[in-house]
Formats: sequence, C-alpha cells, structure tokens
Amino acid sequence: MIELSTAAKDVILAFADDEHMIGSRHANWIGLGPFLEEDLAFCSIAQDELGHALALYDLIVPSSEIDRFALLRDPSQYRSCTLAELECATWDLALVRHWLYDTAEELRWKNLLQSTVPGLADLAAQALRDEAFHTSHAEMFMTRMHRDESARLKVEAALAVLLPAAGSVWSPTDTEAEAVAEGVIAASSETLSQQWVDTVTTDLERFGLAGNTGVTLGDRTIRSQGFESFHTSLGEVISLDTAAIW
Amino acid sequence: MTRSWTDLDDFQNFIDGGGIVEAVDDMPDDYRAEVFRFIEFHANSELMGGLTERDWIPRAPGVRLKQIFLAKTQDEIGHAHLLYQVAADMGFKDRTQMLEELFDGRSRFHNVFHYQAVTWADQIAIAYLVDAAAFASQRAVFAECTYGPYKRVLKRIISEEGFHMRHGEEMLLRLTEGTETQREMFQAALDRWWWPAVHLFGPDSDPNDPLLRWKIKSQPNEQLRHAYIQKYVPLLQSYGFRIPDDNLHYDDTFDGGKGAWLTSDIDWEPLKATMRQGGPDSRRRISNAAANYADTAWVREALQRTGAAA
Repeated sequence: MIELSTAAKDVILAFADDEHMIGSRHANWIGLGPFLEEDLAFCSIAQDELGHALALYDLIVPSSEIDRFALLRDPSQYRSCTLAELECATWDLALVRHWLYDTAEELRWKNLLQSTVPGLADLAAQALRDEAFHTSHAEMFMTRMHRDESARLKVEAALAVLLPAAGSVWSPTDTEAEAVAEGVIAASSETLSQQWVDTVTTDLERFGLAGNTGVTLGDRTIRSQGFESFHTSLGEVISLDTAAIW
Repeated sequence: MTRSWTDLDDFQNFIDGGGIVEAVDDMPDDYRAEVFRFIEFHANSELMGGLTERDWIPRAPGVRLKQIFLAKTQDEIGHAHLLYQVAADMGFKDRTQMLEELFDGRSRFHNVFHYQAVTWADQIAIAYLVDAAAFASQRAVFAECTYGPYKRVLKRIISEEGFHMRHGEEMLLRLTEGTETQREMFQAALDRWWWPAVHLFGPDSDPNDPLLRWKIKSQPNEQLRHAYIQKYVPLLQSYGFRIPDDNLHYDDTFDGGKGAWLTSDIDWEPLKATMRQGGPDSRRRISNAAANYADTAWVREALQRTGAAA
C-alpha cells in the first residue's frame, strides 16, 4: 500500500464511506423495487457503489482488513455524510436520494480525474463510466415521475425531506485545503457544491418540480439519526467472530 | 409458421420424435396448460427465492460478499423476469396477473422458499443445498425440454445456477475450514435445511405424469432425489457435518449390490403444508411481498398513465 498524506487519506475515507453507505442502503431495496426491470437496475447501481467503496478503501486500508474496517469501526470514526446514511424506506425517498447523490457523485469523481494520488485518477475515469448510467437512470425516472400529478406530489414531498440533508454531501474534510494544495482534488467542496446547486436547480426547473436547493453543510464526524441501528446490522454477522474469515 | 396436430396421439408422436413446440404453435390445450403452470411455478420460485435470500444481504459480513450476494439475488430476480415473459407469451395470464396472484397467496412456489433464513449460515445452506437441488431439477428439465422458449431461457438460467452452486461450495468451504462458531452455525443451518432441500424434488412421480410424457421433465422426481442424496450425504459427512436423519445408512445390497445411501421414510407433510401456503414463513414472506408491491404501486401507475410500460 502506498504512503499517502493525511489530507489524501481524509478525502478518500470520506468518499469511500459515502459510497459504502449509499451502496448498502441501495442494497436494501433488492427484491423490493416497484417492478422487476427496476429491481435489476437499482441492484446494479448498488453493486457499483459498493465496488467504488472497495476500490477507495483499498487505497487506504490493507486489503485483508477492509471488511473489518468497513463494518466494525466505532460510529464516531466513520466520515460518511447524512445524505448517504439516511434510510430512505420508501421508493420516492430512495429515488430522490439516488438522483441527488449521483448528481453530486459524478462531480466528485470528475474532481479526481487529475489527482496526484497514484491510481485515483484511473479509478475516477472508470467510476465515471458507471456514473453515466446512474445519472441517466435517475434522470429518466425523475423526468417520468414529474409528468404524473400524484407521482409529482410524492417526489416533491421527498425533495422537501431530503434537500435539507442533501448539502451534507459537500461537507469538507478537516484537511481539505491541504488536499487541494497537494493536488489530491482539483477544487474545493464549496466550488463543487455551487456547480451541484446549479445543476440540481436547473433540472428541477426543467422537471417542473419545486424544491429549495440551498446547501447546508453537515459535519462528517457526527452520525445521522438511525445510523446506530444501521451500523449494528451491518456488523451483525462479522462481529459474531471477528477472527473468522467469512 | 403455426403448426397443429390432428389429435393427442399425433402430438405425442411429434414429441417422441424429438419435436420442439414453439409459442406460435397450435399446441394441445392440456399441454399449454401444464407447461404454463410449470413455468409460472418456476418463475414464482425464482422471485420468492430472491426474497428469501435478500433478508441477510444487509448483514453480509463483508463488502465484497455483499456485492456477490446482491449479484446472485439479482440473477434470481432476472430469471423470474425471463420466465414470466415466457409464461405470459403462452396467453393465459400477463405478468401483472401472475404477480398479483402470487402476492395474494393464490399461486404456488417452491417449498424451500416458505422457510426463513435464521442466520447467515442459512444463507450458505441455501446457496449450497438449495441451489444444488434447483440446479439438478432444472438441468433435468433442460435435457429434453420440448417447449422451445422455455428450453432457450433455461440454457441461460442453468449456466448462472451452475455458477451459484460453485459459489455455494466455496462459501461452505469457508465455514468448514473456519472457526468453531462458523461450523456450529452451519450444522444448525443444515439441521433446518436438509429436509426442505430433499423435499424440493417432490414425492415420487406419478408414472402417468403428463410432464414426463411430454418431455418437460426428463426424469422422475425420485431419481433426481436419489442422485442428490448420493452426492450430498458423503460430501457433507466428509466436511464433518451430521445429516439430521437418525436412520440414514449406507446399504451395500441396494440395486443388486451397487449400494446407496438410504434415508428415513420421508415425511411429506411439511411439503404439503407449503403448497397450502402454510409453511413456517409463508405468511410473512407473502404478506411482506404484497405490502411492498402495494407500496410501490404508485410508480407503476404513474408510468402507465404517462405512457411508459412497467
């Protein structure tokens, strides 16, 4: 494993934890999608996000330790954002979160295309190929839902719940200024968040959907409501015998 | 070109001569009904199997493992997707009708998916025992299957199920070579899943079973079940696990001295209970699936109203 600066590790950990949480939350929808084709599509997206998480963890954790690191840390040591951690137990919430998160995720990978961290730029290029499908899928759904009055009301209600939390994806790491200076990332979270707000605002207008897109940053050291039980379930099996190879 | 047959004897001669029936053919009503029923059962089983396996995916003890089990369950749901299409093309019911009847408890699916996966080791038992049993059954259907659309879809399904079976073997070996906790977990899971897996093949076939006559099935149930027991008893014992059958024994004299593992007389009542939706987890599985289907109806309805099929 290569030696990385603290700033680089912080950026990678925050992104890896986001991908792990969103992938795991999406995974909970397997078998429950509104129709079979959508079940298959959403499951593929979940697998992609988990794959991104694994590739990112692999840059900062020895391969043999990834599962224990991903599942057994104390909650205070995770650096995921609220948007990725939320449960989203209904399809309207899951869909809107998918759209908000993937719109941001695409910008975050683009921000790594010139990264000075060995291997990260290549990973970003590969992940962006996945993201083209994810964003297209989310947008297709948002476009179709807004055409139907009752679906539009549901999506707008979900937007009202999620938009206040959505800006959390842009919560910077403590060492972000160093990460920019070292070329780990090209631009700050604040710069990207403005691009994201522009994109989301334009899309909402295009969809004819109402929503306040102001960014409220969160704190990546504080876990969201519901994280504890989610974290317990993630580690339920591996913690039965932490010495075992599962 | 639509083909037709003068009577059932004419149709049987076609089948016995290696003929393959296509969806556009004017097939005998009884054949169409029996084959449809069989494929609908298979489709339902793939979907409910996916729902059985989904329970432990959120708690998978590794990120890579979660990906793998997601992919496997996605395969099962993909199989259901293909099979519902083949069944719908037979003209009895469309996919929505089949799903609504399934979630309404009016349709059947494999006995094993009426049971709950109690621990992670049950997930492995399903991958090892149930996938192997399903693979053996499906391969036997594929061997001579006379309904062309089903045979073509089965080719893909069997290829993926073969991969699932290997995955189940690998997962079991991890537990076998693992810690005492893991081995105890798997033994407990084996105690729960051995008999349901054996039941999956069904009671002895009726010699007049039309599915055998029309070569949808290539082997009677008892032959498939016997072969499964001969393979999995010694394998599981070699890994140090105990088969939950006090009367299990090897009979050297069986079949003129060829020898075979023989089980206790099989109690078929648990299988019959699942066919009445009265299995240990039938009520929860079906009602959860129905509730979710109802909760997501607004998406399907919105797509229909806006002109996109769902």
